Amino acid sequence: MDRVLILDVRDVTFRYSGVARDALRGVSLGVSSGELVALLGPNGSGKTTLVRVALGLHLPRSGSARILSRAASEWSRRDLARVVGVVPQREDNLFPQRVRETVRLGRYPRLGAFGLERAEDRAAVERALERCDVAGLAERWLWTLSGGEYQRVRIARALAQEPRLLVLDEPTASLDLRHEMELFELVRRLVDEQGLAALLVTHDVNLAARFADRLLLLSDGNGVASGTPTEVLRREQAESVFGWPVAVSSFDDRPQITPLRRPS
Amino acid sequence: MKWFWLVAALLAALLAGIGLGPAAVPISELWQSPIVRDLRLPRALLGLLVGGSLGIAGASLQSLVRNPLADPFLLGLSGGAGLGAVLAIALHWGGPWAIPLAAFAGALGALGLVFRLGLVGGAELDPRILLLGGVAVGAFCGAVMTAIVSLAEASELRNAYLWLWGGLSGASWDTLRVIALCLPVPVTALLASARPLDLLVLGEEPARHLGADVRAVKRRVYLAASFLTAVSVAVAGVIGFVGLIVPHLGRALVGGRHLRLLPASFLAGGTLLVLADTLARTVVAPRELPVGIVTALVGVPLFAVLLRRWTAY
Amino acid sequence: MRQRAHRTHLAGRLVALLGVACHGAAPRSGTVGALVLRDDAGRVVRLAAPARRVVSLAPSITELLFAIGAGDQIVGRTIYCQYPPAALQVPPVGDGLNPSVEAIVARHPDLVLLYRSSHTDAAARQLEGLGIPTLVVRHDRLADIARTGRLLGRATGRDSGGEAVGRAMDSLLARPLSPVHARIAYVVWDSPPIVIGGGSFLDELARLAGADNVFHDITTPSATVSIETIVARDPDWIAVVRDSAGNEPPAWARRPEWRAVRAVREGRFLVLPGDLFGQPSPRAGVAVTALRDRLSNTTHPTSQSP
Repeated sequence: MDRVLILDVRDVTFRYSGVARDALRGVSLGVSSGELVALLGPNGSGKTTLVRVALGLHLPRSGSARILSRAASEWSRRDLARVVGVVPQREDNLFPQRVRETVRLGRYPRLGAFGLERAEDRAAVERALERCDVAGLAERWLWTLSGGEYQRVRIARALAQEPRLLVLDEPTASLDLRHEMELFELVRRLVDEQGLAALLVTHDVNLAARFADRLLLLSDGNGVASGTPTEVLRREQAESVFGWPVAVSSFDDRPQITPLRRPS
Repeated sequence: MKWFWLVAALLAALLAGIGLGPAAVPISELWQSPIVRDLRLPRALLGLLVGGSLGIAGASLQSLVRNPLADPFLLGLSGGAGLGAVLAIALHWGGPWAIPLAAFAGALGALGLVFRLGLVGGAELDPRILLLGGVAVGAFCGAVMTAIVSLAEASELRNAYLWLWGGLSGASWDTLRVIALCLPVPVTALLASARPLDLLVLGEEPARHLGADVRAVKRRVYLAASFLTAVSVAVAGVIGFVGLIVPHLGRALVGGRHLRLLPASFLAGGTLLVLADTLARTVVAPRELPVGIVTALVGVPLFAVLLRRWTAY
Repeated sequence: MRQRAHRTHLAGRLVALLGVACHGAAPRSGTVGALVLRDDAGRVVRLAAPARRVVSLAPSITELLFAIGAGDQIVGRTIYCQYPPAALQVPPVGDGLNPSVEAIVARHPDLVLLYRSSHTDAAARQLEGLGIPTLVVRHDRLADIARTGRLLGRATGRDSGGEAVGRAMDSLLARPLSPVHARIAYVVWDSPPIVIGGGSFLDELARLAGADNVFHDITTPSATVSIETIVARDPDWIAVVRDSAGNEPPAWARRPEWRAVRAVREGRFLVLPGDLFGQPSPRAGVAVTALRDRLSNTTHPTSQSP
């Protein structure tokens, strides 16, 4: 499969208004089709800011953020939503909603004139439900789902957009081991089978190392390392970024990090 | 099927509103009677349009400010309308339409002020700012109104409060013509915002990611829903409860998708108000009950029944 | 909230609940000079002697004091006490609704007269605490005027004046004028329409003038009705009470929904002056005559067709 560069962030610097220091300093990030890239870093290192700049929600002070070679901020929200599906960290569920209804919302950027739903929209919703293995839950109310089911439903909604890039912001926070694994397997499968590009923001270094093709390690607004897991997760690198002594081992040919007990 | 029942209920309410009243009109003369032609029919139709406006405005505003307790009158419009009415009386603005027009102007003034407050410092109609601004503007208008009323000596002025609770007694074909001209644009604007409102309920950032132009949608929805409320308050005073409960009735009946919810709220709001007004006119005849009290008496039990169905998924 | 309490002044006076009949005569005085009185709040009030310095906290009380001949004993009034014109010579002590005890005490009264409402009970207690006797009265119907007139007569040593007012009211009530077959609806407010019911003195005035209030069957002083009900009752006249001058029909008469009422269509309005018809007063006889005159002088009202 030909790799197409979908997200291309180059040398971006960004500062929030009214704040004295840069939130991002000269960070670059590329994501191509059929590739899963994980964005790693401690709290406050700039992961969410980088995603917002990449999606055109913030304008960089310098550098560029492009999606399919067009500046991210120039895309209309509707056009962009046909290319990029996002599963945000948080959202409200103010009023009760069923699973299929929420997945249908993903069709919004692709609806025809007068917002009418066509057969292809309904088919895309069913496809997305199937792919995320939630077709059986389609008639359930959202509030009756487990955390893992709920996250899969939200990924299904992003898939209903039929995007070329999937962005997931901390999708496994507060999930147990099995649901976490299921979710990572699902994303990996979508990348491999559908040729999707995926950008995964996560705290989980070890799972990122096992599932991602490439990692970008952020620290204090700087991109300190990027490349394959083996290139990025070197011991001294990880220790300096996370501020804790670690040991690096290997499992399935992927580096795994074990934090050490601090000698008392 | 649900739509059939919604429409059937509305037609039944309209028939009841036309057929029932404190004056005895034989069924055979129903269509010739001036009481029916000049009083009951315009009043029932006005109830339909005002109730429908409040229903659809309430449903959109609840989604806009993402608060299921929001009511169209929460955003300061009733205070502005009351102040307008009091000024019209205090300054002896003559003419039979002076008070409704002044109330409408007052409501629009409050609408503009809250809108402006909602944009302060790039707040972009942040729901919290909108709600706080609405409550503040409403309280301020209410304070000015009370000051005028208590300082003035004109006895008519003390009755200005009554006007705010006027109900549908001002219905006539002229009133209907005016409101029928005012409704189509804002109602269309709200219906056209149905899809993006579905997204907005998730939160602003998720809505953006799903392709909604959040800024434009919020402005459009706020202005259209508030305009409908201002028209309602000018022709019928403050009618509580319809804009608060009807959207929830709508959600229980047809679900949360705005393409269904908004029309359903319009139909249900119209039905509830026509029905409540018919009861208000007839149950204690020759006297009349305040219609806002009857909307609550009819709406709450109905809501309780539907709430049970709704939670028994 | 519908706050009926806000329906004040004109409407408020009408809405007020009231004891319809006068409950027995006032108690007899004990020793010579000293007085024992029972007021409309049910309190027993003792005066060492008839009052010489009186503060009146309601326009209707001021008018009544002048009517019984005690006008020159008034040392304080409210800003609303405008009748009779002589009342304007008396220094005002406030608006009477929220009595200012300080301003009242400064007038050194030996009796304060209050109109009974939720506000006045506290003020009466405060004044009593300062050793100033108070009488709380309430007169919503014409019979109450007779009773209050006699009570105030005794309290101010104008027994004969009070008795005269009382007798005048009694005889007015006992001898209604011959029927003129005029059916009246008093419309106090147009949106929502509020009319006067059988519980109001205005209903009595209509009856005494030989007319009928079409809403006599509603027992409260006032009530909200729909225009349809007014159409069905089909009054010959719409009576409106107005404080400001002018004889023209109210602005709402030109609203289309009101034109369903025959009397509105035909322009049959009785615009009644607020100083005479806004409250029950010892001039009720004048009011009855004025109303009767309006009714008989305009038996064929000029029709104001649109």
